[in-house]
Amino acid sequence: MADQDEPGFGRRPLMAGAAGMLTSLLAGARPADAQSSARRGALVIGLDISDALSLDPVRVYQYSNPLPTRAAYDGLVTYDAGDNITVKPALATEWSYLPDGKTIRFKLRPGVKFASGATVTAEDVRFSFARHLAIKDQPFQYISHVESVAVVDATTVDLVLKDPTLPVISIIATPAFGIQEKSQVVANGGTDAADAKDKDKATEWLNNNSAGAGPYRLTGWQRNQQIQMVRNPHYWRGAPGYERVLIRHMSESAAQLLAIQRGDIDVAFNLIPEQIATLENDPNISIMGTPSLDFIYMAVAEAPSNPALQNKLARQAIGHAIDFDGIIKNLAGGAAVRPTSFLPVGTNGSTEALTKEIGFNEDLPKARRLLAEAGLPNGFKFQLAYGNAAIAGVTYQNLAQKIQADLARVGIVAELAPMDQVNLRTMFLGGKAEAVLTFWNPPAPENWLWTSATVNRVARRVVWDVPADMHKLVADAGAERDLAKAAVLYREYQKRMVDFAHHIVLVQPVYQVAVRKSVGGLNLTAAGWMADLAAAKPA
Amino acid sequence: MSGVAVPVAVPHPRPAALRWLRRYGLAALGGAIILAWVLAAALAPWILSYGPNTVDVANRLKPPSAMHWLGTDALGRDVLARVVYGARISLAVGMAVVLVGGLFGTLLGAVAAYARGWAEEALMRVTDLVFCFPPIILAMAIAAALGIGTVNTVIAMLVVWWPKFARLARSLVLTQRSLEYVEAAQSVGFGPAHILVRQIIPNAVGPLIVLVTLDLGQAILVFAGLSFLGLGVVPPTAEWGAMVAEGRELVQQWWVATFPGLAILSVVMGFNFVGDGIRDWLDPHARTR
Amino acid sequence: MIRYVISRLATAVVMVLLATLVIFLIANTVPGDPAMAALGDMQASDPVQVREFRARWGLDLPLWEQYWLFLKRLAQGDLGISISSRRPVLADIIDYAPATLELATIAFLLSLAVGLPLGVVAAVKRDSWVDHLARFVALIGVSAPTFWLAFIMLAIFYGQLDWAPGPGRLDPIAFPPDRITGLLLIDTALAGDWETFRDAAAHLVLPSIVLAASTLGLITRTTRAAMLEALNQDYVRVARAKGLLARVVVTGHAVPNAMLPVVTLGGLAYANLLTGAVMTETVFGWPGLGRYTFRSAVTVDFPAIMAITAIVAAIFVLVNLLVDLSYALLDPRVARA
Repeated sequence: MADQDEPGFGRRPLMAGAAGMLTSLLAGARPADAQSSARRGALVIGLDISDALSLDPVRVYQYSNPLPTRAAYDGLVTYDAGDNITVKPALATEWSYLPDGKTIRFKLRPGVKFASGATVTAEDVRFSFARHLAIKDQPFQYISHVESVAVVDATTVDLVLKDPTLPVISIIATPAFGIQEKSQVVANGGTDAADAKDKDKATEWLNNNSAGAGPYRLTGWQRNQQIQMVRNPHYWRGAPGYERVLIRHMSESAAQLLAIQRGDIDVAFNLIPEQIATLENDPNISIMGTPSLDFIYMAVAEAPSNPALQNKLARQAIGHAIDFDGIIKNLAGGAAVRPTSFLPVGTNGSTEALTKEIGFNEDLPKARRLLAEAGLPNGFKFQLAYGNAAIAGVTYQNLAQKIQADLARVGIVAELAPMDQVNLRTMFLGGKAEAVLTFWNPPAPENWLWTSATVNRVARRVVWDVPADMHKLVADAGAERDLAKAAVLYREYQKRMVDFAHHIVLVQPVYQVAVRKSVGGLNLTAAGWMADLAAAKPA
Repeated sequence: MSGVAVPVAVPHPRPAALRWLRRYGLAALGGAIILAWVLAAALAPWILSYGPNTVDVANRLKPPSAMHWLGTDALGRDVLARVVYGARISLAVGMAVVLVGGLFGTLLGAVAAYARGWAEEALMRVTDLVFCFPPIILAMAIAAALGIGTVNTVIAMLVVWWPKFARLARSLVLTQRSLEYVEAAQSVGFGPAHILVRQIIPNAVGPLIVLVTLDLGQAILVFAGLSFLGLGVVPPTAEWGAMVAEGRELVQQWWVATFPGLAILSVVMGFNFVGDGIRDWLDPHARTR
Repeated sequence: MIRYVISRLATAVVMVLLATLVIFLIANTVPGDPAMAALGDMQASDPVQVREFRARWGLDLPLWEQYWLFLKRLAQGDLGISISSRRPVLADIIDYAPATLELATIAFLLSLAVGLPLGVVAAVKRDSWVDHLARFVALIGVSAPTFWLAFIMLAIFYGQLDWAPGPGRLDPIAFPPDRITGLLLIDTALAGDWETFRDAAAHLVLPSIVLAASTLGLITRTTRAAMLEALNQDYVRVARAKGLLARVVVTGHAVPNAMLPVVTLGGLAYANLLTGAVMTETVFGWPGLGRYTFRSAVTVDFPAIMAITAIVAAIFVLVNLLVDLSYALLDPRVARA
């Protein structure tokens, strides 16, 4: 962690007067030159990393840790920024299903080196996946339909599926499936043996070091303070633009705002719409928007405790009584879109136009009509639970109060129930909640990951007895390898979901990231890891 | 503050009114502040042009103007209306916690001190126990166990609130019972209950009133703090601590957090002024000077 | 005296254990299941994985057995593993405690440095402008909500005037010194890294002022009241009558006698600062024990909650004990009693 460059600290002139002492102490400690961080060859990122539990790829599934994980580990395949539908080659140059229909054969890119200088081999790939299969942490769940991984030769590897109808290529683009250097992981206590769940001890080391072939190498993580990375000189796409990358933990968006204004950080990820507005005229800062694949939705359960909610028409009435445009335009500062149902805009078969056509739209007379048809002309009551959090500056609390006010217009009374995360999840996952405001972010941009969740585990949360034809629709769409044909099936899926009215999607944020103009080439992505740091370089 | 400093410059033969003002001016000011808040809270629906929960997102985060004197919050609600309605919750909670906690603690402490022996010992150990709890953990655990809501928060506060009254009451009773008139009452043959209720408690009431007054401010402060942490009221109820929390990230929209904070400050100061005034008035040293 | 200390220590241990027991029982009535918060979305939906998790963390044991295990581990100095961070609680606390210790200590010293002289002068010059100023400062200190004061200070001195650095312990681009004590002022001084020392000191200014505010108010008030009391005592009057200089009377006679209640209050106030900095830490993004406590409670992280309860209770009990002992030193009459 040695810092060779001369730190570019300057001194501010002392201020006279009573506050002089205080001021000089304060001012002396501040970098006078906004460019100092760039001069030192470091890219400094402000990000709330309090959620990160681990930087060991097999345990990376929270919100913030995929960013450093992607920077440290390249996977077999990836998504280019801006395209979340077509998978692109990375460490694998090509892949195809073998005639048996359940084996996928990957050809590795020749001559790629890990940050250590060692060559990436098929055995490293096998080890990386086998470690997932043995340790079985959350990321494993996404590929639990993988049967085994086998080395064919030094640059060829096979992935064998238990259920070949389920998609897998799009899923392994996720940072958690980055390729680890076997010798380093093993040397630090790692194993892919069957008992790895208890025997693997590499996580502690991998939390502070990385063993990947990504553009940067992890050199330290002080929890709730910062993550440090240094350039990987062997990176196969060419040497990365910065000597170092620092991810500073900044939980307060106000702190990120002031830090980027003053040049203490180069990139601010967690700004709220009001703060973005104040940066729009700043000559040193550009605002980059990237439509995410995340969304906030209201889950409405057929709760045993609430007969009204068991009525589909009553649930639909909720969906037509919400002022969606007001939420997006005002609460989200216009930086959001709204999908039809549980497939975010930007995935195959989901567009904003479709939402206008077949989704929930504010229509009070229709909501009243639905209530009357449901036999509830005077409305009904339900409990709306939510946690203490904000997504892209939209707090659940404000959203809940807005919805409460909207629904009151047609006589529906939403009783708000703020909760801590533990109680909320216990209630919701146990199918005990009437309605919940919550959030969905995908591990990978694969439609099937959303759709299968809605008819399986998420269905239980909303006490929904999913009809067989709905299960079949989801399975058929997931198995369809022709994107255009799949899109037709997904349109039908969304239409059915709107009709069932268990999930009312409210806000799909367009994440607004403030980037100082001294930084170039930073590509934001919605595919799950926020940004590709590989191409970032001083502008 | 100039109002406080000015009298110093006045030449020494001070008129009585000025002396009274110097001694009790702040207490009167405190009383006036509290009275103003009580009136505002009681008359809220008649003196405000907006309801506290009228959502209007098109007019969110508007700075103070002729329309909205204190601006609007993140949902376009009138900050003035919410601040005034917030007084209802804060005053009510302060009263509830201090009166219930104070009554319970005082009785327990007085009885224990009078009974002496193991009852007193047990009570003191229980108060010790409560004092060594991390209050935040206790409040959060209770909120998590019972659910977030005003009543549950008041319960959590009561759990930690009564011991100081119990201790004060105990020490007051202990002091009193050694005094001559109590001994006199005993020798005349009055029973212990009679002595406790008719002799000791009335004489110990002064310090208790001071504690109660100062504590009202303290209770309002603590409740606002718990609300700030998200453990107080259920939205959309207007409450000062919760309002500051809502405005915490809005540095540019300073009015959202500033005014509810000033409201807390003024009320707590009001109670402190009054409490200090009463203490000065009760304190014989202060009176004779 | 020694017997007194021993018996007090024994009571202290019982108190701490009782406190953990009470918190343990309350925490166990929480309807939420920590497994649900700790596991990923898919794992939490799989009953097998949830069962496995509960077994791994001992959440499936009978309550008395869970508590017994806690006691057994505690006796061995093992505070258990945090459910939410998956690290030893002790390691977490060692990470977070120095930030709080540093802030609380600076705040406490600040409130003493200002509060004691202010209280003394206010009492000596009763009803002068100093007295009024002192009372006013004290009132603001005890009346201003900490969380709001923190917001206002940040908004003015960081946001508007740009005099003070923002939240956190160091500037975003500064490098923390190698960890020796975890106290940045000491670690940077040991390393001779004065640039970072100044940075750390600057970051302490606003939060310590905010945190000191209420303590300052209390100390000023108590000192003033105690001094008034002392100045009214006969021996002070005698000293005055004997023609001793006012300064000698004040510093030689009144101040030492006025210190008793101040010591009590000061001790408790310090304990409060150490344990009650949640709001200041929240607003200033301070990675301290207050934030850790809050997060542990929100995630029903049993091992962390129990450990913190034990530590906080121990701090309070010990501070109380120290206060009582210093009483004995300051006032021989107490020791004899």
